[in-house]
Amino acid sequence: MNLQAIKILFLKDLFLCRRYLFGYSAAALASVLFTVAPDPTISYIGFLLMITVAIASGIHMIGVLLLGEAIDQTRLFVMSLPVSLLDYSIGKISVVLATYLIPWSTMFALTLIGTFVLPDAQVGKVVLIPAIFLFLFASFLLQLAVAVVSESIGITICVMVAGNVLLNVFLMKITALPEVKAVMNGDQVLWPSAIVWTIGVELLFIVVALAVSFWYQTRTRDLV
Amino acid sequence: MTTDVLKSDVAQVAISLRGISKKYKHFELKNVSFEMEQGTVAGLIGPNGAGKSTCMRIMMGLVQPEKGEVSVLGQKISSHEAQAKQEIGFFSDDMRLYKPEALGWHMQFVRSLFPTWDDVYAKQLLQRFGLLEEQQIKGLSHGQRVKAMLLLILARKPKLLILDEPTNGLDPVAKHEILSELMRVVEDDQRTILFSSHNTQDVEKICDSITFIDRGVVVGSRPRDEFLERWRRIRVTADEGWRLPALPGLKLDSQLRSLRVLITDRFTDELRGQLLNSGAQIESIETMSLEEIFVNAVMRGREGDM
Repeated sequence: MNLQAIKILFLKDLFLCRRYLFGYSAAALASVLFTVAPDPTISYIGFLLMITVAIASGIHMIGVLLLGEAIDQTRLFVMSLPVSLLDYSIGKISVVLATYLIPWSTMFALTLIGTFVLPDAQVGKVVLIPAIFLFLFASFLLQLAVAVVSESIGITICVMVAGNVLLNVFLMKITALPEVKAVMNGDQVLWPSAIVWTIGVELLFIVVALAVSFWYQTRTRDLV
Repeated sequence: MTTDVLKSDVAQVAISLRGISKKYKHFELKNVSFEMEQGTVAGLIGPNGAGKSTCMRIMMGLVQPEKGEVSVLGQKISSHEAQAKQEIGFFSDDMRLYKPEALGWHMQFVRSLFPTWDDVYAKQLLQRFGLLEEQQIKGLSHGQRVKAMLLLILARKPKLLILDEPTNGLDPVAKHEILSELMRVVEDDQRTILFSSHNTQDVEKICDSITFIDRGVVVGSRPRDEFLERWRRIRVTADEGWRLPALPGLKLDSQLRSLRVLITDRFTDELRGQLLNSGAQIESIETMSLEEIFVNAVMRGREGDM
């Protein structure tokens, strides 16, 4: 493994998607500002924008950085340079993760902070925030794994749509659980076992999806 | 002593493919073996879909063969891919640069990976190829794109150049500029070039040795001059009852009444004598162009004759 080559590949991709990254980070910031607005309609728009940014930035970065290089035939150029398949795979998956995590972590961190800092915020709802954001991250990693294995933008979009539908089902189901309902409107942070289990499963899923992506990418026999 | 001799032999081989096989749905590379010495210029000629690109991608470690061994510049490509590529410049007609970025950005990017990058030479190439650093890749014509890629390859001073159809689709001027630059590179005795094309004229201009490939099989591999010396078209006249002598490499190409056109890939003065002894009268013995030799080699290969 050549760390210098990985760093160069990583920075190259970061530079290539700089405009998208800036746009998604700005949209992420705007979504948080909308969410904390006193008007419930604007706040709801902020929430929708947040979910949209998390979903759209993920599929877009996978498309541009991972699948785009195969479609545009720029991968042949990169792989003609002194990099191994392992260097390429680590650099590629790392940069896709980084470009997703920048807007994602902005939204996650600011939402958490906002819940504690804003005077009217219901602190009890804070337990839902990691569960929702980890669901979005897990859904993104599933798309990444599918993109690595299938190299198909069509199949990856289908997985994204399925993840989007499942997110709504997830939100409905988890907020309907009596133990979650009970703590949501409280002014203390309490962790019901359902939420703890959900977060545990999401973390496990994240590790597995990430491992599958790395494992498959580094074992691809023909990259071009 | 023996070990030293072996080491020096290994160092002299630029590319070695041994028993390479690779199967795709509609194409198969069958037991391809190929060797190329350092400091030589070799041409890989084959029709479209013959397996030239697959062979070259296997040499670069971009495609993994199912069987066989590949070593490039003395290193096994399967285990030393990155190190080997430090000294290889690979061009493919299918290769693309990043459209929104400028050529200068690509130069900086490639320079960051190659300590051997030569800035002065890169500037000279920019001038010779009529390119500008600030030009965006998406605004380049096909010829300019090929030149830009060759600039990125040549300026890093690779020991080995693997060029997959670099002259494909170029206008005569661009083709001349590129071949001229390659001729300059060839002047350096330490540089090795493998050049693929389906255009024999381009290959003939710069290559010392030639390998013909068709349908995933090597159908001939020799020094260029040996190909040109061994292949002949012989026009003979003979009686109706005359039979073609069963001589190795001699084939009847066409017949018009008593005139018969024969083609051989093993021409010698002895063959001339044997034809005369058989009762035929030799009208002419003609040399063949590389393109004619290529077509005949491919057709013989398809007949399972070579």
